[in-house]
Amino acid sequence: MTNSLILLAADYIRLDAEVLMMIGSALAFLVTLKWVRSREMREKYAVMWLLVGLLLLFCGVFPTTIMRFADQAKLSYPSAVLFIALAIIYLFSLSVSLSLSRQYRINTRLLQELAILKYQLKELDKKTNPNPDGGPH
Amino acid sequence: MNSTPFRTLIVIPAYNEEASIGPTLLTLTSLDESYEIVVVNDGSRDKTTHEVRKFQQSHRQPAVHLVELPRNRGIGAAVQTGYLFAAERGGYEYVIQFDGDGQHDATAIPRLVAACQEKNLDLCVGSRFLEGGHDNWRSTLTRRIGIRFFAALISFLSGIKVTDPTSGFRCAGPRAWRAFADRYPDDYPEPEALYWCARNNLTIGEIPVTMYSRTAGESSIKLGRGVYYMFKVTLAILIDRIRKREKHQR
Repeated sequence: MTNSLILLAADYIRLDAEVLMMIGSALAFLVTLKWVRSREMREKYAVMWLLVGLLLLFCGVFPTTIMRFADQAKLSYPSAVLFIALAIIYLFSLSVSLSLSRQYRINTRLLQELAILKYQLKELDKKTNPNPDGGPH
Repeated sequence: MNSTPFRTLIVIPAYNEEASIGPTLLTLTSLDESYEIVVVNDGSRDKTTHEVRKFQQSHRQPAVHLVELPRNRGIGAAVQTGYLFAAERGGYEYVIQFDGDGQHDATAIPRLVAACQEKNLDLCVGSRFLEGGHDNWRSTLTRRIGIRFFAALISFLSGIKVTDPTSGFRCAGPRAWRAFADRYPDDYPEPEALYWCARNNLTIGEIPVTMYSRTAGESSIKLGRGVYYMFKVTLAILIDRIRKREKHQR
């Protein structure tokens, strides 16, 4: 009984790759817009994610694009989808690694400058205020 | 001890060295007034700062400066902060790197400086493996293999014989320490910094020194990270080999 209900539902709701891509695209748009709106994500990175969303939408609406690519690359359809997805993930991870490396260097230099400035401030304070307790002892 | 006509800065990177930083600073009191010390507290969570302040209050000589990094950033960043401090403050001829855990012999410091001057070196490393040097704490076998490997790698790539590339006891002349203030490796920096000097036509050398076991605290290189250390430093050195050489003014 339950099995036949599921089969019946599956006839009406075709949860195939194209539909999944469109759902993924909608989610990518929504999440990106939410984070840009709350200023948690910079527009610079939002552009990249919106492009990914657009690509997913395009592949969902025109599934033959991936099929043609799969044919030309002599891959099966799932392998082609996996290949494109991995390529996107790889590119994004590389850009994140680059960005993190740059941020690490900048953060370290800022901490070093801060430490030296705090030292200089303390030295200046000692010179201008040699007796921090106020009156003579 | 005779005073030198120039000022020398001793950089001591310290991370959780509350037990050993005081005794280490005490060993440096025999140095003359041309030497100054900067302790770079690398975000310690113990009483390292308190111990240094206590020493500052009880000793006028040598002058001890305390620079505190707000967060732990690793040995490379801590040592580089010392070089940056030297550049900001100015007036120093040589900058010496010296561990805060009591492993290094303070009496060898004037010899390191003298070697730099006499041989016109940009970087002079205190080696425990040269004839006359001693490794009083006897490193573990894996560590000794690692040291030999880096010594062979750097000697092969640079054509200059080095015996103790991981030694953190070293004296840098102006060309070297100004370059280090600008750029210095992040973690496990010693072999990489040494090779960088050799590769970029800075003169390097070694003198024999004695090293002791740590008086307290933990080594920055844990056993489990040894393999990562070997790969990371080897990769860094090999990549340095294919970089364009930098020009330095004499």
